[in-house]
Amino acid sequence: MSPKKIVRRIPRAAWLCALVACLNAVCWSLLTPPFQATDEPDHFAYVKQLAETGSLPTSNSEQLSTEEEDVLIGLHNFQVRQQPQTRTIASQSEQGELQGVLAAVADLPKTGSPAAGLATLQPPLYYAIEAVPYALASAGSVLDRLQLMRLTSALFAGLTALFVFLFVREALPGEPWAWAVGGLAVALAPLLGFMSGAVNPDSLLFAVSAALFWALARAFRRGLSTLDATMVGGLMIVGFLTKVNFVGLVPGALLGLVISSVRAARISGRSAYRLLALAVGIAFSPVALYAGVNVLSGRRHPLGVVSLALNTAHASILSQLNYIWQLYLPRLPGMVNDFPGLFTTRQLWFNGYVGLYGWLDTPFPGWVDNVALIPAGAIALLCGRALFRERAVLASRAGELVVYAAMAIGLLVLVGADSFRAFPATDAEFAQARYLLPLLALFGAVLALAARGAGRRWGPVVGGVIVVLFLAHDVFSQLQVVARYYG
Amino acid sequence: MRRVRISLLAALTLLVLAIVLTLAQSPMSVAFSNKVADQEATVASTTHDATYCQADELLPVHTSAIRIWLDAAAGPHVDVVVFSGGRAITNGSRGSNWTGGSVTVPVKPLSRAVNGVTVCVSFHLRDETVLTQGSMTPAAFAAREGRRALAGRMWIEYLRPGSRSWASLVPEIVRHMSFGHAVAGTWIVYAILVLLIATTAVAANVILTELR
Repeated sequence: MSPKKIVRRIPRAAWLCALVACLNAVCWSLLTPPFQATDEPDHFAYVKQLAETGSLPTSNSEQLSTEEEDVLIGLHNFQVRQQPQTRTIASQSEQGELQGVLAAVADLPKTGSPAAGLATLQPPLYYAIEAVPYALASAGSVLDRLQLMRLTSALFAGLTALFVFLFVREALPGEPWAWAVGGLAVALAPLLGFMSGAVNPDSLLFAVSAALFWALARAFRRGLSTLDATMVGGLMIVGFLTKVNFVGLVPGALLGLVISSVRAARISGRSAYRLLALAVGIAFSPVALYAGVNVLSGRRHPLGVVSLALNTAHASILSQLNYIWQLYLPRLPGMVNDFPGLFTTRQLWFNGYVGLYGWLDTPFPGWVDNVALIPAGAIALLCGRALFRERAVLASRAGELVVYAAMAIGLLVLVGADSFRAFPATDAEFAQARYLLPLLALFGAVLALAARGAGRRWGPVVGGVIVVLFLAHDVFSQLQVVARYYG
Repeated sequence: MRRVRISLLAALTLLVLAIVLTLAQSPMSVAFSNKVADQEATVASTTHDATYCQADELLPVHTSAIRIWLDAAAGPHVDVVVFSGGRAITNGSRGSNWTGGSVTVPVKPLSRAVNGVTVCVSFHLRDETVLTQGSMTPAAFAAREGRRALAGRMWIEYLRPGSRSWASLVPEIVRHMSFGHAVAGTWIVYAILVLLIATTAVAANVILTELR
């Protein structure tokens, strides 16, 4: 099947899910005050450097450009971020001062920002894309450029929802009505809207991860074709060039290619392995090229600046595994307690997903996290019921499920290993729910299964209620952000 | 189809009702604070379990949360107990993983103000650093960890529901939202509302056409 045919066969509902996700992310982009999303100043600096000088940032210091620093001061950014009791600028005189700063920095020479803080370690694809809106708005102020870049990010939210819908369609083809439940609920997920309404490579990472899940699901359902192999390889290139975290999905994706090519070989013979080689060759070509350039230019590490993000840990493998397990799950007997007094599954991940916006400084009141356990528990029960009812099908698709599990575990281990580097000085540096959003495709499938778990008669009703539940979560998250910054 | 339509209508009605109820609530306001903006100093720093107590505080009537200036990257579980005459008169706790320069702990409100109370804040730590911000004072007036005096007094704010509802604050919030964006003005609020309504309408359309 040609790519054109694939696009033509995308159902209208999938496009509408994409539209919902885009509108939602645009809403978040207007709502969130400039630079009040995690690390947004660093990501802006990376784009500024790329757009104004054509080169990558070279320092991970937080000494950003004068232009950006002055605007951050004008916005009172440093007083507001991580100080939930402090609001954003609120008077005509402060607005006047900000306008003065914006006018003054407009005359500064456009010499980029060699330092881009934490963003420096990331690959350049997302920033190269964002350089386009940055350049288009170059005649405007810093805030104009930021807003246009945020709108570009919002498009990736649309792509994420689209691919989640398509993944659910491939993975759970039995009940077409349930596809929209997964697609719509993910489109309305407030964390997706918040992250995609800001300048952050996570927005592209979510989209490419969802697309990878979809491409693998296609290969499993329809058999690995040249198009599928090329798509998986191509998506892996995009992922590698988007964010280091993508590496976590790669072992599982490779396993998926191996399993689907072994299956294809049963029908089409050894030529199926050529498809495996094609996908792997495409996927790793930029990594090989990048490593080659680094080796030829005499850098110490073949992965250059990216190697800083892959530093090995400071302790034994066992203590690292012990830590990673407890970062997500309750401690097992015999394990050293790395998180005393903390139920990580609940407090770090569940509560973090329920609501933690801005610079991780905007949560809901504690009782909301408790109430959220009720719908979450109901969804888990319904999903479990659907899986139990279809256990025979599950057994026949064990290989595919192992691949999805391997992708999820790979990501969890990567985030855990990264957090371990800062441990024990910081308990759980990267224990942020947004790092799990590359698994949104699986989340969409869980929600679709939950709706199916209610049975054919009540399933659509439950599906509709799940979607409205996500809408409510989104609306109240936005109200919480309004209360925190403008209340 | 009819069932889906009815349930969608009911769910959306409930959502609107929940929003109206929320807007009828009052936001927290600071009833009393010992914070002195230009005197911020770190009065304690620890990487281990600690209990800090600060005497001679005033607990305002109906205080429903106490904000303490603790600074942490991923804050620990915090317990707050307020003592008067050696007896605990109210307490509360806040789960871990808060972040930033302060932590707000909900407490049981009292129907009277109590003067001369001692506020004790405890947390359990292992290795992670928690800083306590406040104002430097002589040891006699400082907060204490056991018998040891800290370098000064912790900043504490006492919060209670304000006298105005969120709904009555809407005009001020709309005005506030008009500042600090790419294009200043209240247009942003209307744009957000239009986007929200459009999002809901498209989502409802998909539910009604697909979930059959």
